[in-house]
Amino acid sequence: MKGNKVIPIETHERVPARQRTNPWAKVFDPFMDFCRSRSLFLLHYCTGCGAVELPPTVTSRFDVERLGIQPMVTPRQADILLVTGYVATKTLKRILLSYEQMQAPKYVIGICSCTVNGGMYWQSYATVKKLNEYLPVDVYIAGCMPRPEAVLHGLQQLMEDIKTGRANAWQDYFNRYDHYLGNQQALFGDRWQTPTDIIGEARHYGLLGEQTLGEHTALLERIKQPLEVPTAGVFSPHSETRET
Amino acid sequence: MRPENYQAVNHPPSNEYELNFGPNHPGIEGNYAFKVKLEGDIVVAARADAGYLHRGFEKLMEGRLWMQNLAIVPRICVPDPVPMEVCYSMGVEAIGGLEVPARAQWLRVLQLELSRIAAHLFFFGGHAATVGLYTTMFWGIADRDLILDLFEEMTGGRVYHIYNIPGGVRRDLPPGFLKRLNALLDYLESRLSDYDDLFFTNRVLVHRARGVGAMDQKQALEWGVTGPNLRACGLPFDVRRDEPYLVYDQLDFEIPTYAAGDDLSRTLVRRAELEQSVRILRQVAERLPSVEGPIRAPVPNPLAWNLPEGESYTRIESSKGELAYYILSTGGAKPYRVHVRGPSQMHAVQVLEKLAIGARLEDVAQIVFSLDSCPPEVDR
Amino acid sequence: MSESKAISHRLDDVLKEIEGVRYTRQSKTRIRVDLDADALPTLLELLQGRAGYVHLSAITCVDWIDADQFELIYHVWSYEDKALVSAHIRISRDPGRYVSVYDIYTPAAFFERDIHEMFGVYFEGAPDMEKFILTEWDGPPPMRKEFDTERYVNETFAWQEYNPEWLREISAQGGGIAVKPSEGAL
Repeated sequence: MKGNKVIPIETHERVPARQRTNPWAKVFDPFMDFCRSRSLFLLHYCTGCGAVELPPTVTSRFDVERLGIQPMVTPRQADILLVTGYVATKTLKRILLSYEQMQAPKYVIGICSCTVNGGMYWQSYATVKKLNEYLPVDVYIAGCMPRPEAVLHGLQQLMEDIKTGRANAWQDYFNRYDHYLGNQQALFGDRWQTPTDIIGEARHYGLLGEQTLGEHTALLERIKQPLEVPTAGVFSPHSETRET
Repeated sequence: MRPENYQAVNHPPSNEYELNFGPNHPGIEGNYAFKVKLEGDIVVAARADAGYLHRGFEKLMEGRLWMQNLAIVPRICVPDPVPMEVCYSMGVEAIGGLEVPARAQWLRVLQLELSRIAAHLFFFGGHAATVGLYTTMFWGIADRDLILDLFEEMTGGRVYHIYNIPGGVRRDLPPGFLKRLNALLDYLESRLSDYDDLFFTNRVLVHRARGVGAMDQKQALEWGVTGPNLRACGLPFDVRRDEPYLVYDQLDFEIPTYAAGDDLSRTLVRRAELEQSVRILRQVAERLPSVEGPIRAPVPNPLAWNLPEGESYTRIESSKGELAYYILSTGGAKPYRVHVRGPSQMHAVQVLEKLAIGARLEDVAQIVFSLDSCPPEVDR
Repeated sequence: MSESKAISHRLDDVLKEIEGVRYTRQSKTRIRVDLDADALPTLLELLQGRAGYVHLSAITCVDWIDADQFELIYHVWSYEDKALVSAHIRISRDPGRYVSVYDIYTPAAFFERDIHEMFGVYFEGAPDMEKFILTEWDGPPPMRKEFDTERYVNETFAWQEYNPEWLREISAQGGGIAVKPSEGAL
């Protein structure tokens, strides 16, 4: 595709580079970024309408695999979370769970105009209007729905950003976790919690900034319940008799 | 399917296991979930869980003008949006007393049948992927893309067209379109033998899909099954024959049925329907040049159009089953109530919960796909 | 009254049997029946058993907030007559309770569950009145006319700024167009 200028698109505050003490980091990091940009796994979570243009993008006609991008079914081994289309409130919880399960570095692409500003369902009580309120987004691809060529262009944009070391939105999640958690709690209620220990991960990556902890994380600490295997599932005894 | 000499034994509860299928799961068509309770490998209970795609369409439609609703109506069913537009337009026309000109009716049938073929090609890929034949998905999506190219020529959009409006259609065909359509139909017919070798007569599919998810006629009628799923049980009921709309009474086509009512029959019914749709399209392409006239009935200013009081219940045959719209007007510029009855509201919820019982775990995804459910229709 | 004779004798006999039934023939394949809420289950049983209307197509609920009533419409279709009977009943809005027809028509389970969570109407005897689509919603039933969805949206969700930083940079660089029309196809 010709005429591919790199257009800087930043949906979050500029994140300062991590403090690296290893003297070889200056050589390895750009090399790792280059390799990383050539081998990305998409977590294909069909969150909305835009998912119907994803099979054409991935299959032979528009073939995203020649760019090194391939679908992957589990978040643990995926690099890119594709939010294809509008996000219902119920789906947003699962998107956050999947996002937090992904290993860093990870990237989020918001496809379709509904992730940008609500799109066609701006009056709907069940969809989220601004995706980067709840998790940091690297690239937005506008359209309703965007053609496979537009999706490819957006992916190439992301690859450029990764190669030049600018796609650091995932660090913003750790740096400003309190802000994101506050928005999530405002939408889902005060008892919102996920199984992932974000603050522990932030410490591990060395990204614990002064905006990571705050009043919302304090609330989370107070109400957090330990995870346990439920003894009664969805199929309680009285529902079994119905299932005949 | 258990071998004949298997004796069911009361296992202690530790043999039971609850598994969550989706929403993030390649074995589910779209963003939908259901929970299964397993005893070893066999499903003993299933429970559907929807709402991941809910947008509140019926509420949104009450707040928009009659013409504005056409922008959001196709998005109710994502793989097959054209029947949604046509059904809504037909409902509004029934209330408003608009007479659709002949040429527009033929153009609507053209679009509907092309959309049916595209949806079935998408379906073949999905069903094939659940039994491990991934090449069919690549072929199906690639061939479907050729149809989307034709749609783009005709309407301007690949997936959502907003081509049908109350009163007719928005534009006429570009020059040379029918020639390209006939070339595509020749291509699709020549591909069918390749698809047969690859998928429909493939021993893997036949062995895995035969007998799985079977329902008999009585069950199908009781559970409210419609469309190809009902025709796979041997009942030749099709809205295009029962209650002909547009110009279907002037077209010559058959209603294919198979008797077994299992996954294999459902796939083969759709393959036969693809052939019938190609047949219909050839007749349309032949007749269209001789049907002259306007392509839409005169409609007053859409921004200030008050429909008279009335209600209508319109049923049409989408690729998944019986699609119906109930539209109620109290004489205003906006609808008072629009109720969308999608075929998947029966298939993806009740029928799936009942058919999954007794199936093996590896066949559950196959049952989901062979019922051809469309989760956005369930959630609206 | 005599128009429905063209559809079938069986349907005519059934409709004559219920008291208080008023029906109009809307078109060749549509009949509208208005009756009291108490008489509906009997009508549906007779339609299914005697007149061959075996397919429940949909149950619609309409919120007549000014009249303080809910209108429930049961659309049943016959594969033999090839006609649709829409039975309209009215129930009072408060309390919104009605009896379930699940034992007559199995598809009613889905529609009754849907109407319950969208409108708040409770169906006695329905197999499952738990939430299905709005499982994580704790507001009022959203399809009621008093629920203003736009006001709710403005209170709950944040909007993207109209011209954020990144949009300004894109506009400054030519608008984010990948291939200009003058350059031809890819």
